[in-house]
Amino acid sequence: MQKLDNTTALRNLSALIDFSNLINSSLDLDFTLNNILLTCLGKFHTTKGIIALVNDSLILEVKASKGVSENVIKSFPALKVEEIYNKQEFNEYLISNSFEILQTINSSAGVKGILILGKKFTNLPYDESDKEFLKTILNVGATAIENSLIVNKLKSVNRELDTKVNQLKSLFDLSKEFSGILQPDKIGKLLVYTLIGHLLVSNYAVIVCEKDNYTFLESSFNENNLKTFLNECLANKFDKPVLSNELKKNYSTIYNAGIELIVPMQIKGETKGLILLGKRKNNLPYSQTDIEFISSLGSLAILSIENAKLFKEMLEKQRMERDLETARNIQKNLLPKTIPELSNLSLVAYNISAKIVGGDYYDIVKLDDDNVLIAIADVSGKGVSASLLMANLQAFLKSICKQKLPLNEATNLINDLVVENTMMGNFITFFWCIFKNSTKQLTYVNAGHNPPLLIRNSTITKLKKGGMILGFLPTTVTYVSETIQLESDDVIVMFTDGITEAMNKNFEEYTDERLEKLVLENSKDEPESILEKIKESVNEFIGGAEQNDDITCLIMKVR
Amino acid sequence: MADFNVNLRRFESVSIIDVKGYLDAHTAPMLESVFNKLLEEKNFRVVVNFNELNYISSAGLGVFMAYIETMRQNNGDIKFTNLKDNVYNIFDLLGFPLLYEFYKDEKEAIKKFIDQEKS
Repeated sequence: MQKLDNTTALRNLSALIDFSNLINSSLDLDFTLNNILLTCLGKFHTTKGIIALVNDSLILEVKASKGVSENVIKSFPALKVEEIYNKQEFNEYLISNSFEILQTINSSAGVKGILILGKKFTNLPYDESDKEFLKTILNVGATAIENSLIVNKLKSVNRELDTKVNQLKSLFDLSKEFSGILQPDKIGKLLVYTLIGHLLVSNYAVIVCEKDNYTFLESSFNENNLKTFLNECLANKFDKPVLSNELKKNYSTIYNAGIELIVPMQIKGETKGLILLGKRKNNLPYSQTDIEFISSLGSLAILSIENAKLFKEMLEKQRMERDLETARNIQKNLLPKTIPELSNLSLVAYNISAKIVGGDYYDIVKLDDDNVLIAIADVSGKGVSASLLMANLQAFLKSICKQKLPLNEATNLINDLVVENTMMGNFITFFWCIFKNSTKQLTYVNAGHNPPLLIRNSTITKLKKGGMILGFLPTTVTYVSETIQLESDDVIVMFTDGITEAMNKNFEEYTDERLEKLVLENSKDEPESILEKIKESVNEFIGGAEQNDDITCLIMKVR
Repeated sequence: MADFNVNLRRFESVSIIDVKGYLDAHTAPMLESVFNKLLEEKNFRVVVNFNELNYISSAGLGVFMAYIETMRQNNGDIKFTNLKDNVYNIFDLLGFPLLYEFYKDEKEAIKKFIDQEKS
């Protein structure tokens, strides 16, 4: 008997050594668990067994099984380790599936899991020595299990780290790339490539929002469906990422369109755009890390898009400034460089352009030895278009002068030319006159211009005769001219509304009355001095306020 | 500027793209234009040979994602071959092996296409 016991003990010991060698030879958890189960099945002559280990949520989870059906594994109750002996549900599970013995797997850190085995094939009960042997096997196995678990954990931590490193690389890569791109659509494309490559999605949209407007930079969704959605709920309502659950609940149209995640692209907490993503191809949900990654990418992208926009605006502004400069140069070159001298007339002229370039024009043309033509005009509009119209007017005026037509007929002609050559809504207020030096006669036509002031003996006569503004309608009612006999010391002041409508900081206008009073008071002076007084008075009035209109003034005095 | 090169070859009905150097956000558009060319020519069977590729970024991976569905809808595919370990690791990390076929050698991938054509 003694000998038999010894033999059994020896066999158990050698089996244990074999088992220990085998089980510690691998760090693979499945290998370890399988071997524990197979060793138990062989040793105790039983046909089934399960090993359940404690998972991260401290619940027992079946990790290996032998000889049991899928259903038995599925119906394994969710329970904590401390509940295994006192939970009725688990007890019933063991009985109904004919499990007869249960043993915990213990390590230095506490209970790691449990092993349960079915009835012995021989129908004999498990005796004390069986239980002792099982405990010993599991004690040896526990270390191997723990090592395998640690290795598994390390592997998963490593993978997480690799993912993070890869995300960082992507961010670094893009931040480098974005800074050199000034086209928003290219930025959108790179953003999309990085997102779909990193997250394995094939449905996406990148939307840039500006107030109530939005543009699709990239989209693989049906844009019309999304437009309806964007109209319904203003894009800037999204100030944090929205996941599929909330989309399903609150934005069912967009959820049904296949969108699983919306991440806002923000600058200083303000939503400037949205990234919409569909389902991931690997069916994984979007994790917090994923969303953080998408947000970071989104912020990088929107910042670059904003920069690109600012750069474009700057270019546009520079272009406009160049245009204005061109316009200013055109205008400057249209004005006469010298004033012809006449024995019976002193003449001075002054013109200053407002910042945005208006359309004042004046000209003085010596027609022959006795006659000089003087014109003043205000072309509607600003900038290049006004300059071009002004250049047209000058060309018409110069060529008509050569035809030596009566002034009223010439005005009919010039009006028709302007009508033909201007777009709708453009017009010119125009006054021109011919001064005959020998007789001191002045013939003029006023086409809707501020009437020049004729000052004689401290009274003002306004030179109003003519017709309507140039360019408004083809000539049907012909223009009329008037001829006045001027006398010595008569003063004529021609001006544009830049003077009478000059505005001070309180938005008050200089007015005709102020101008009339001033010229009356100073009509005895020489034209240069009268002009200086007008300039001074206007400047004093506006007090440094920026002017929107050009200022032009011509003053003639008969000798 | 990162060094990247892409070359297109043909073997029967299969288009082979050789990628070389660094495939990142900067160089991705070069690969994209090759794929656009393939789509224009209606060549949907693509093998990408990574033999000389040293690095791939997420944007580079994105290019493949952007074209795979079109290729498959037209009875084609994009198959990957000859990946260096560090490049394969990135594909693996992001779960690409679930979606794409990877081969050790270009010939295997081409054979797969041609067998498929015959059957």
